[in-house]
Amino acid sequence: MFVFVLGMLLSLRPPARAIPAFARKYDLPCSACHEAWPKLNDFGIAFRDRGYQLGNEKDSPIWQNPSYWPITFRITPQWHRESSSNNVVDTVPGDPALGQTFQNVTTDGFDFGGLDIWAAGTLYKDISFSVLPSSDSSGSFHFENVFVRFDNLLGNRWMNVKVGKFELDNLVSEKRMLFLSNNGGFYQVYHYTPFREAQFLASNPLSTQVSTAFGLGDNQLGVELSGHSENSYTRYSVALLSSNEGNPGLPNRTYDGWVSFNHGFQVGKVGVQRVGAFAYFGERPTFLNTSLGAPVLGEGLGNKSFYRAGLTGLFYIKKLDFSTVFVHGWDNVFLGTGTAANAPLPVGARAPTWNGGFIETHFTYSPQLVFVQRNEFVRMSRQVFSTDPHDLGDVDAYSFGLRYYPFMFSRAGLALHAEYSLVRAYKSASPLPTSASPFGPDLRTSSVFFGLDFAF
Amino acid sequence: MKRNRMKVDIASILVLLFAAGAQVTPAQESHIGGITGEATRGRHLYRRYCVGCHGPLGDGRGENAPWVDPKPRDFVTGTFKCRSTPSGELPTDEDLFKSVTRGLVNSNMPPWLPLTEQQRADLVAYVKTFSSRFREEKPSAPVEVPSEPAADQQSIQRGSELYQKMNCWSCHGKEGHGDGPSAQTLVDNRGYPIPPFDFSAGTRFKCGESNQDLYRILMTGLDGTPMPSSSSALTPAQTWDLVHYLRALQINAKYSKASSPPRTGGSVALNKQLVRRPEHADLF
Amino acid sequence: MGTKTRYLHLAAATAIALSATPGSPSRSAAIERKSSAAKAASSGHSEGHEAGTVSGTVRVIGAQTAAARINMAADPACLRIHPTPMMSEEVVTEANGALKNVIVYISNGVGNRSFDPPKEPAVFEQKGCSYSPRVLGMQASQSLQIVNLDPTSHNIHPVPQNNREWNIIQPPGSSPIAETFTREEIIPVRCNVHPWMKGYIAVFKHPYFAITKEDGTFDLKDVPPGEYMIQAWHEKYGVLTQKVTLEGNQTKVLEFVFKP
Repeated sequence: MFVFVLGMLLSLRPPARAIPAFARKYDLPCSACHEAWPKLNDFGIAFRDRGYQLGNEKDSPIWQNPSYWPITFRITPQWHRESSSNNVVDTVPGDPALGQTFQNVTTDGFDFGGLDIWAAGTLYKDISFSVLPSSDSSGSFHFENVFVRFDNLLGNRWMNVKVGKFELDNLVSEKRMLFLSNNGGFYQVYHYTPFREAQFLASNPLSTQVSTAFGLGDNQLGVELSGHSENSYTRYSVALLSSNEGNPGLPNRTYDGWVSFNHGFQVGKVGVQRVGAFAYFGERPTFLNTSLGAPVLGEGLGNKSFYRAGLTGLFYIKKLDFSTVFVHGWDNVFLGTGTAANAPLPVGARAPTWNGGFIETHFTYSPQLVFVQRNEFVRMSRQVFSTDPHDLGDVDAYSFGLRYYPFMFSRAGLALHAEYSLVRAYKSASPLPTSASPFGPDLRTSSVFFGLDFAF
Repeated sequence: MKRNRMKVDIASILVLLFAAGAQVTPAQESHIGGITGEATRGRHLYRRYCVGCHGPLGDGRGENAPWVDPKPRDFVTGTFKCRSTPSGELPTDEDLFKSVTRGLVNSNMPPWLPLTEQQRADLVAYVKTFSSRFREEKPSAPVEVPSEPAADQQSIQRGSELYQKMNCWSCHGKEGHGDGPSAQTLVDNRGYPIPPFDFSAGTRFKCGESNQDLYRILMTGLDGTPMPSSSSALTPAQTWDLVHYLRALQINAKYSKASSPPRTGGSVALNKQLVRRPEHADLF
Repeated sequence: MGTKTRYLHLAAATAIALSATPGSPSRSAAIERKSSAAKAASSGHSEGHEAGTVSGTVRVIGAQTAAARINMAADPACLRIHPTPMMSEEVVTEANGALKNVIVYISNGVGNRSFDPPKEPAVFEQKGCSYSPRVLGMQASQSLQIVNLDPTSHNIHPVPQNNREWNIIQPPGSSPIAETFTREEIIPVRCNVHPWMKGYIAVFKHPYFAITKEDGTFDLKDVPPGEYMIQAWHEKYGVLTQKVTLEGNQTKVLEFVFKP
């Protein structure tokens, strides 16, 4: 079960983004748009908001040399070491009858990350697009994003419409984080599922078909209306999304909503300080319509709601900057217990709520060297059962690392990436079969990562 | 190669310090309104944003320069297109600040508006260190832009006559399409071909988009290009007439409509005759 | 390398700018003394009575092509002035290859002596959609007067490397434009309206320069005794250099021959 949770989280690890194709198109170095790629700076945010356009009347592809092809590849050869505490392990491997014990399991070796093949740019003046087929390291592809965006409708930069699969527009993007390891390479608060909910999902295979765990960091399918001030210090996004976690093929039946707003203040020599707020309101089905017991065209029924709401901030003090996020989460009790809406709830079950957040610090020594660290936490504020330990499923995570870019120019990018990450999930390890308690000890997982992250 | 450059950099800084002494070094600063830009901070920003085209020495020979057209500005000569000062003069800090902010249309120089005002001021201060002229000379007072008279039909008509008399058509063409008889021969001060502005294309000007900006362009010229200054040739009233006529040539302009001349009477007829949709008109 | 030189140049220029106040004789004398002490080669700068002359001719042999016809169709006003096409003045030769419009000047040996610029302006005319003279010599900081005698507008656009670049339009009948250049340089001048118009303004810190006449002759007068490098510059054929040692009251005759 816990392997399932872990595996679910790992599979969500986002491909990160930087587009040397744009650097080639505009002859600007990576550092013009990225604080340290893939993280955007103020100029990069504005470029993206304008629909991948600089605004010099040369953005349309008609101005490009016909041999220019807006394609970027990214992949990351690496060495990494993954360690996990408190695994329930047979005392004698291969002979479960002789009993089990807790053990740390560590594996390490050379590896590589998935491949991103990203095409993005403009189809015409004020019409931009993006297509990002992304594979895991086994080579099985999915479409991370696919969209067309109509920019500056009626000449108004406050009106841009995007249709397709895309990232929820938020101030702190998980797709552009400077962490790559299995444990550090995603934001816990963007993907958190309460312990009990994950447990119920894992024990009910049918429910996983209807209701995959929601993640704020997951790209969604839908339509977005967004806008920005001329310098992109003020921005908003409103989106209507299919309630299907971005999975193609109409496996769902209702719609979710997203809204975010953020604003940047110029503070003298210190720089731009941005603050924002966001909210996601959604519904998920709790059971499937069936015919003779078999699901009918994947139609889900018994929608139950959930929401995530939070605050974001980007703060700059000279070479130091902080990305901060606070999220409050609530899931309907039926979702929290994995119960079909036409079935009785477990006795005493309540809707789970939790709070989480992080402070991520970047010290950008130069555009070619950046040190990063992140403190993250998730705290349950209401467990599904009042009898559960109050800290069941709480998470602490800490990561630090550095990225060094041996060269910085406008054709390709290479980063030497080193990272360490440790995650502690409270009482989340499996208990020993002999244990009387339904809960195990804390689960600690850690990653050490050395990689060559490159894009061209 | 890189080390060599660095040495030169250090040498240049030493020379600068030596030449300027330990006193106030105005060329290391810029003043935009109440903001003081400092070259020391600008240097870091320059390395992040500008060095690819303008080069580590500010001579416009960055690694991208061979692929860029028009070529990046060479800061060492101290010659700048967009100024409020007479031809041949240095630009004011504010002029450079505005160029950084708005970018240069139809070139690879983007608008750096998303940078904070302080950052842009710092960049201006650093850019000024590349040319000794900023330590030796001072820009004279900016060209005054008097208040704009009415853009009536008479004014446009007078402007049209001036367009003839001043030989504007030699480069910009009889109808402002940028296809005059001398258009093909034009080169900038580094010998690279440079096309005259096509008024029918509907884009902004290199140095702004308002009528005041256009007035200033006519008065100051665009140094380093074939576009001359008319300050000694035209009176302010005549310059406004020319502005009004040029506006009438901008049949596809999609910006600052408020400050465009009223399209009435004869100017409509004029426009009809000039209509030629650029192949790249906006869809919406 | 080039940059270093530039910065050193700059520092020197700054030093001069800081120490020299134009029109202050005692100051310039001090500079003169300093520079002559530093420059052992250029001995005894005594003025006037001992000064000599460098004269001679410039010729070009071989590879002379017929001058090209200029097409002035772009401006009817110019076309009316020249009913029969004007010929290019890039290379003007007489019998024996005598070459006009060559600048002959001392390129080295004057040291850092400073010279007051002449009071009378150097005049550069636009006449018949062409520059007159095509090659103009003037001293740094001397006033330059630009005159338009044509019934059409010209823009005067010098494209210097070391001096300020400016570009001014001059419609017919307007008063002369007064300008100046402060640094030594041979500056190409263009009229962008009339692309065939090409001229050169040569700026020197000293008065020892001359432009060859139709017969290819030149005279550098009142040159104090000393060891000099003399250069002859032609817009098409480039630069020739000769060394000359001039003693008091002497006249040296040089011949420069371009062999393109």
